[in-house]
Amino acid sequence: MSLFELPILPTLGAAAAGGCASGGCSSGGCGTGGCGSAQAERTSENSRREFLKTATTLTLGAMSLTLLPGVTAGDDMLPLPPPGGDGHAPAAKPMYGFLIDTTKCIGAGKCLTACRVENSVPEGQSRTWVERYVHYKDGRVEVDLVPETGYAGSGEVQPAAEDVLRAYFVPKLCNQCVDAPCNQVCPVHASIKSPEGIELVDTERCIGCGYCVQACPYGIRFMNHDTGVADKCNWCYHRVMRNEQPACVEACPTGARVFGRIDDPDSEISRRLATVPTNVLKQHLGTLPLTRYVGLTDEVT
Amino acid sequence: MVFSVGGRMTGVAPTQGTLMTSFNDTRHLWALGACLAAVGLVGMAVRREMVPDDFGTKGPYRASALDDIAAQPSLFQADATCHACHESVEHERAGTSHEAVGCTHCHGLAVDHVSIARRGAEDPTVTLPPAAEWDGDFLTKTDLYISKDRATCLSCHQAVVGMPADFKKIDVAVHLEEQGASEPLSKETCFECHGGHDTAP
Ligand code: SF4
Ligand code: SF4
Repeated sequence: MSLFELPILPTLGAAAAGGCASGGCSSGGCGTGGCGSAQAERTSENSRREFLKTATTLTLGAMSLTLLPGVTAGDDMLPLPPPGGDGHAPAAKPMYGFLIDTTKCIGAGKCLTACRVENSVPEGQSRTWVERYVHYKDGRVEVDLVPETGYAGSGEVQPAAEDVLRAYFVPKLCNQCVDAPCNQVCPVHASIKSPEGIELVDTERCIGCGYCVQACPYGIRFMNHDTGVADKCNWCYHRVMRNEQPACVEACPTGARVFGRIDDPDSEISRRLATVPTNVLKQHLGTLPLTRYVGLTDEVT
Repeated sequence: MVFSVGGRMTGVAPTQGTLMTSFNDTRHLWALGACLAAVGLVGMAVRREMVPDDFGTKGPYRASALDDIAAQPSLFQADATCHACHESVEHERAGTSHEAVGCTHCHGLAVDHVSIARRGAEDPTVTLPPAAEWDGDFLTKTDLYISKDRATCLSCHQAVVGMPADFKKIDVAVHLEEQGASEPLSKETCFECHGGHDTAP
């Protein structure tokens, strides 16, 4: 700690004392009593100096702790978030997880139709989408969205394969953050973290303020045009509660979407999580997503 | 000021004793108390009205919302739903490269088909309508169709920038020429060589 007892402290103290003389004492409240005698002034200056000394030392001391190895975050492979609804509750069972394998996605868009039908999402909006990242040989990286019919059915002009260095698809859906920002901002408790760790919208209570839409750093939430209240991917909570797979998982022909229990070491998702390196989106935000990805590049956010 | 203390504000903070004896009109205090009580009561009534009974029993939310959301029907048909009746198809597809391809991708979402079939299981007078013709557009969401339209195959297999290297993708014109398809313009041209459920070769 002595390292931080620098000559800066007396200077700070003097500056503060000067502040009182020129400003503080000329105001009404101070003039009537507090700063009256020289004795009182010295005492208050001394205690102020003591206070500043202690406060500075403690602050700098605390800051120095962050320099220690191991205190800072940023390991590339974060462990799975602790099971439990809000991240602080005791481990809940069952606990679910979602794994997206970007190396398997073919961009057929089957999941998009499945989700729309399953959850009656109006045209023009979607709870899930698939991004395509195209890295061109000239260094450009372009991102577009897979149409619901797949590119084959859309008639969209495709990039010429010879200009492309590499390209891949990245399906997006709710990350079911353990520390979900969308949940924290809801003024009427219409955002629910279910005991299984799935983030839900109570459409009956939602007042449609849209705070959660702003709060989600992943752009997952939207105001449903038909209902006027918040809508989001909930991993097909109703299907999961019946021991069915989410609609998009059921629809995916290549197994790019894997859903299952992460509290069961024998489930497919647990086995894959144990063997393949995975990552989460926007890890630096500390939202602790349960949706994990295989094969994310730095360009994907 | 309504609550001035008997006009005796001298600037010296009175001790508690002098404060109590210095009131010459406690009526004001009673009025204040009544106002606060009224506000409290109204507040409690409003809260009672606004907060659902089961709020907070499971967490900071309306507990019955979980049941409400869980009651949403499952509309997208899992293959298991289809295989429950169409057993032979399950066997045909077992072990083929198309095993994981959902029935709905080539036969429509079958939402009505399944709900009618379920009713039919209980009531023999209910009959299933036949499969429709598919118009070749996935966005139409025809409920049930049996189609050999190549658009169904190409919706996955037409080569698109971004597909994994090991995925079987084709450029239709090139592929048909290479394979010498007799009717390259026909909608059912894929089925000249390939099977449906068993996908051979
Ligand atoms: S991804 Fe967005 S909507 Fe989903 S839990 Fe996280 S903050 Fe909420
Ligand atoms: S839109 Fe609904 S769910 Fe979102 S913060 Fe507002 S009230 Fe809560």
